[in-house]
This record gives sequence, C-alpha cells and structure tokens, in this order.
Amino acid sequence: MVAQNIFFGILAAVVVVSALRMVTTKNIVHAALYLVAVLAGLGALYVLLTAEFVATTQVLVYIGAVMVLFLFGIMLTKAPLGDMMQMTGKQWPIAALVALLLGGVTVYALLDRFGSDRLVMDGPVYKTADVSDEVFSTYIIPFEAVSVLLLAALIGAIVLARKD
Amino acid sequence: MFAPQLLGFVSPSINWWALLPQMILLGAALLILLLSSLAPRRSSTTFATVTTLSAAITAYFVSIGLWYDVEREGASSSIASAFGVDGFSIFFTMLILIALAITALLSHHYLDREGIDPPEFHALLLCSAAGAIVMAAANDLVVMFLGLEALSIAIYVMIAMHSRRSEARESAVKYFVLGAFSSAFLLYGIALTYGATGSTNLVHVREYLDAVVFRDQHMLMAAMGLLLVGLSFKVAAAPFHFWAPDVYQGAPSPVTGWMASIAKAAGFAALLRIFFAAFASHDSDWSPVVAVLAFVTLVVGAVMAILQTDVKRMLAFSSISHAGYVLVAVQSASNDGTAAALFYLFTYTLMVLGTFAVVGAMGSDDDHPLTRYAGLGRSKPLIALSLTALLLAQAGVPTTSGFIAKFQVISAAVSNQSYFLAGAAMVTAVIGAFMYLRIIMTMYVVDDDESGPSPVWHWTTSTVVLGTVIFTMVLGLVPQFLIEFAEQAVPILIRG
Repeated sequence: MVAQNIFFGILAAVVVVSALRMVTTKNIVHAALYLVAVLAGLGALYVLLTAEFVATTQVLVYIGAVMVLFLFGIMLTKAPLGDMMQMTGKQWPIAALVALLLGGVTVYALLDRFGSDRLVMDGPVYKTADVSDEVFSTYIIPFEAVSVLLLAALIGAIVLARKD
Repeated sequence: MFAPQLLGFVSPSINWWALLPQMILLGAALLILLLSSLAPRRSSTTFATVTTLSAAITAYFVSIGLWYDVEREGASSSIASAFGVDGFSIFFTMLILIALAITALLSHHYLDREGIDPPEFHALLLCSAAGAIVMAAANDLVVMFLGLEALSIAIYVMIAMHSRRSEARESAVKYFVLGAFSSAFLLYGIALTYGATGSTNLVHVREYLDAVVFRDQHMLMAAMGLLLVGLSFKVAAAPFHFWAPDVYQGAPSPVTGWMASIAKAAGFAALLRIFFAAFASHDSDWSPVVAVLAFVTLVVGAVMAILQTDVKRMLAFSSISHAGYVLVAVQSASNDGTAAALFYLFTYTLMVLGTFAVVGAMGSDDDHPLTRYAGLGRSKPLIALSLTALLLAQAGVPTTSGFIAKFQVISAAVSNQSYFLAGAAMVTAVIGAFMYLRIIMTMYVVDDDESGPSPVWHWTTSTVVLGTVIFTMVLGLVPQFLIEFAEQAVPILIRG
C-alpha cells in the first residue's frame, strides 16, 4: 500500500514535469521525447492500478506507434531539428486558457462524482487472460471486423502510394 | 497452471451460415489480389469482373437459403448477439449483392477505358460490400461502426484511384474529411449510448430502455442526437448534405452509383436498426427530429436540383431528395413505415444504378453539362428511352416502381398522421419532377443539326441498363412481391 503510494507520487511528478517541459521546450524533438516520458509514466500508473493489459497497450500503441509516427513526421517534413525561437505560437494565452478550463472541468467532474469514493482494494482482478477470453468470445465479431477494415485500409494505402 | 483458465473459456456458438455471404466476398477479394500478384503480366479486367460477379451470385444464393431459414425458424442473432440474422439483414444483404454485381459489370468497361488497375478496384469493391453487409446485419454499435468504416474507407480509395484526374482526388479528400468528421459524431453517440444504457449491444439497449424509466435522460438524448447527425452525413440528409454534390461530381461514375445506392442504403439500414428497433420505446423523442430532417432534406433536394446545370450534380441533389422520402418513412416509426423505407431503398438502388450506368457511358467524368445530352433522342433513341424511363421512375410517375415507392412512403406518413410532411413530400415530388423533365426535354426537344452525342457503349452497360429498366417497369405494374418481401424484413432485435 505504502509502496504504491510512493511510486504513484514519483510517477505523477515525472508525468507532470515532463508534460510541462514538453510544452515549454524549444526543440521539437525534445518535445516529442518528453511526450514519450508522459505516456510511459501513464503506462506505469496503469500497472499500479493492476491494469496490465491497458499498460501494455499504452506502450505498444502510444509509444510504439504514435510516437514513431511523430518522429517520422518530423523527419520527413524536413522540420528544423535544432532549437527554435518561434516554437510558441501567438495564441498561446488562449490555448492555455482552454487547457485550464478543460482541466478545471475534468477535475470538478471527477471530484463531484467520485470525490469521496475509495478504491476497492480487494475487488476482482482482471488479468490479460480474461481480456483475451472476452476478445475471442463476446467480441469476436468486432475483432474480425477490424481485420476486414484494416485489410481495406492496407489495400487502399498501397494503391494510393504506389507509383507506376 | 493455465488449465483452469483454458477450461473457463467458452467459445461462442457461431452461425457460419449467416456469415457465409460476407466470407464469400472477402474470399473473392483475397483471391483476386493473390492471383493478380502471382500473374506475370498485368492481369485482365475480365478475371476480376468474373470473380466479383460469381462471388456476388454465390452469396446471393446463400442468402436466399438464409431467408427461408429465417422464415422457417424465426429471427435469431449469432455470436454473442453481435450479429442479427433476421429478414432485415438478409433483405439488405440481397440488395447489396445485386448492387455489387451491377457495379462490377459497370466498372468492367470503365476501368479499361480509364486505365485503372482492375484487381485493386474489385478487391476494394468487395471489401466495401462486405462492410455494408456487416453494417446492415450488426446488432452491436461497435460492429456497425466497423462495417461503416470498411465500407467508407474502400470508397475513399475507389474515388481517388483515378489518379490522373485532380477532380477525383479532390472529391476523395472532401469525402474523407467529412466522412471522418461524421464518424467522430457517430462514435461519440455510441459512447454516450453506452454511458446511458450500459451496453453497445442493441438487444441490451432495447431491453434496458424498455425496463428503465430515466429520471433525466440528457445523456440518452445527446446519444440519439449524435448518432442521428453521424448517420445523416452518411445518407446525405440536409443540412448534412454539402459534400454530396461535389463528391458525386468528381467521383468516377460507377463509384458514384455505388455511393449513391449502397452507402446510402447501408446508412439507412443502420438508422432503422438503431432508431426504429433499439430506441423503439423512445420514438416520441426521435421521431419529430427525424421529421424535421426529412422536411429540410426534401425541400433542399428538390429546390437545389433545379438550379444545377451539371447532370451529375442534378442527380446528387435528386439522391438527397430521395433520402428525404426515406426519412419520411423512417419518422413514422411504424412497421408500415419501415417496410415502405425498405421498398423505397430497393427500388431506388436499381433506378440510380441504371441512371449512373447511362451517365458513365456518356463520356469522361470531368464534367457532365446538360448540353452534352442534347440530341441523344435522335442519335441513340434506345438509350434515350431507357434514361427517360429511369428518370421518370425517379420522379415517381405512375406505372413505374418509383410511383409505388413514393405512394407507400406517403401513405405511411398519412397513417401516422404526419399530414404536413405527407403534403410536403407530394409538393416536392412535383418540384423535383421538373428537374428530371428538364434532362428528358434536353434529350428530345433541343434542336440542332449535329448528329448528337455518341456514348461509349459496351454490352455490360446495356445489360445493366436493360435489367434496371425492366425491373423498374415490371415492379411498377406488379409490386406485390417486393411489398411482401419488405413487410417481412422489418428489423427484429433478439438475443442470440
């Protein structure tokens, strides 16, 4: 219990500091790497909540796929890689206001609804095996339909990208 | 150590018969891709067309068998209630397969003429058809969404495949951006439906809504609204229709026909299954909203069609106004109304595919000015006559299937006491008829000394045009079998 709280504190600090650095850094690649730290920290928080499947998915999808896509995007669009003075757009106060509002509403909604609830510590633990059982029984049709969708997208991407 | 978990796993019973039509289509898609990539030379169009056609015909016979199964044993649902096996899903499966066969025939000549790779086009067409069937048969919102995306993604690419024409690219990007936008609405609606009812499965949703009285139903209202907006984009109902004229104009004609018929039909299948079947106990909430949408769509479709000078844009607005008629049937929230909507979609699909068959033969897709059709009545009297028949059917002239379809829709609205909407439907039918007559007049009356247009004709096109014209005319005289078919195809939500 205590260990979990300590680790939560450490991880939360890492996530918050990385998130702040991500929006304040002047180097776009650094910003992307700070985002990796934020996403990895969130993944670690899921492990603390014993949601191992969500944690793995977080790592695979966000760090593995989305971040690689970001870095490829930076690389292929020939964006300047060094420090940039104009990283902060002119509308940053408005963006900050929107972010504060969104954060405020989220915090208010969570406190209002769950403020006095305690996490059930001895409730059922859902293992990855349970998730896979569900995927291959209750959700087998969505699972197969996704593969059809990906097949269509794959053929489409090849057709459009091919030069002949 | 793992044994208890393995024993705990219960594999769901799978009704393979019910999945067979989609599996045949996907199998054909993979076969086309595989064989064409193994072939040493660029594979012929004929191979792809024949494979697609035979897949569509085989799947059609399977669905006839399924229809008699359902008639004998009643509706059921399969695989954890995610997939409905009822008259409704089989009705749409058959409709989609007919449209698939027609589109395959139409694209046969078109692909050769325009130099588009046939294997990829046909593979995408088959994926798109499989997605449409999944969408019409899904009893689960997530499955429905995945079917919709498979249908749409394949269509985006089929539009953009015509790489030498910038209009096609532009139209694909427009459709893609707005399609993604509407998918976001739909997904948000699905999420809120889950929030309000605790399930994305429509069987559960219906049982929950029947059993529970909400203290405040804001979340359910928002869910219904977002689902309606998302699907209205897909069926091109006003005021969510702005993409339709541009996209229809820029897309290759066979793809336009496919979009106007099947993307719309599948969207309405989803709309009917969600609203009429699952939200049945809340029809007093959604029916007025659909009625307003229907009215706006009817007026916009009819009035804007008159202002166009490009035939493909005219037909785009005509397809918007057809969506309005189907919405008139949907808003009545009755079995009669749903049967009328199904009848309308079936006849509309064949009319619009026949019309776009002629439009596709009239030459390049860059633009289709009305003047290109001048003198067609003299140079090609048979083609002009067929197009006249199809356009009169779209206008709803008696002795065509279009008349019966409009009559059914309006009588459903009247028996639901939506007199205003029924009146509006009749008035806009008259306004809309003006646009169809204008095309017909141009073909026959405009007098010029030149020989008139000479469409690029191929026997596949004549087959399609002849078939759709005969169907439209015969159905106008003996509509009873399709009316009964539609009445037995009302959606049923049942636990598997």
